[in-house]
Amino acid sequence: MIVGLLLLLAGLTAPPKTHTVEIRGMEFHPAVLTVAVGDTIVWINRDIVPHTATAKGQTRWDTGQLVQGQVWRYVARRAGAARYVCTFHPTMHGKVVIR
Amino acid sequence: MLPIAMTLALTAVLQAQAPAPAPAPDLSDPEVAHVAVTANSIDIDMAKLVPSHTTNAAVRQFATTMITDHTAVNAQAGALATKLGVTPKDNAVSESLQTGATSARASLEPLHGAAFDRAYMDHEVGYHQAVLDAIDKLLVPTTENAELRKLLVDVRPAIATHLEHAKHLRSQLAAPARTGK
Ligand SMILES: [Cu+2]
Repeated sequence: MIVGLLLLLAGLTAPPKTHTVEIRGMEFHPAVLTVAVGDTIVWINRDIVPHTATAKGQTRWDTGQLVQGQVWRYVARRAGAARYVCTFHPTMHGKVVIR
Repeated sequence: MLPIAMTLALTAVLQAQAPAPAPAPDLSDPEVAHVAVTANSIDIDMAKLVPSHTTNAAVRQFATTMITDHTAVNAQAGALATKLGVTPKDNAVSESLQTGATSARASLEPLHGAAFDRAYMDHEVGYHQAVLDAIDKLLVPTTENAELRKLLVDVRPAIATHLEHAKHLRSQLAAPARTGK
C-alpha cells in the first residue's frame, strides 16, 4: 500500500527537463522561457557573432562570451523570474521564469 | 557631415541606377566578397580610433562590439571564400567605400571627448544604414553563389542590430554645449 502511494507520488513529480534557448538572427528563441525548479536551461549561439546571456538585477548568472556553436548550461535551482540581456548587443532581451 | 560623406560613398553607387530603372551594378561574386570584406574592415578600423579619443564607457563598449562582430564576419567570409575558391576582387564599389572611409576618418581624428562621441556615433548610424541598403539593393540581388548569398542574408540582422544600438546610443549623448550663441 505505502509502496503503491510512493510510486504514485513519484509519477506525479515530473522528471527534470532540459530546455534550449537558441540565439539566432540576433534574438533569443524563445524570448520568454518558463521552466520548473530542477530543470536545465541550455543557451546555444547559432549566430556568426558572439553573444552573452547575462541576468539583470538581483539574479546573478552570466553565460560569458558564447561564440558560434558554443553552449552554456544553467540549472534552475530556485523559483523566480529574471530578465537578461546580451552585454554586447543591449537591444537583445530575454526572460526566464522558474516555477 | 561625417555620416553624409560616408553614406554618399555607398549610396552614390546605389543611386546611380535611380533615375532610370537600370539594373544595380553587376558585381561578380569575387567583387561582392571584396565589398563585404572591405565594409567590415572599415568599421573595425574606425572602432580602433575610439579608445584613444573618448572615455565614454558606452561608446567604448559599442566600439568593442563592432571590432568583435565585424572580425567574426570577416573570418566567416574568408573561410567561405577559401572553400569556394573565390579570390576577393577590388572593384568600383569597394574603392568608393574606401575613399569615403578615408575622409570620414580624417574628420574624426582631430575630435576628442563628447564631440568625438557624437561624430563617431553619427558616422556609425549612417554607415550601418548604408551597409544595410547595400546588402538589400546591391549585394544580395547580384550574388550568384547560394552560400555567399546566405552569408550576406545571415549577416543582415547583426548589421540591423548595430544600427539600432548606434541610434539608441546617439540619442543618449548630450547635445553640444551652446557657447557664444
Ligand atoms: Cu549579442
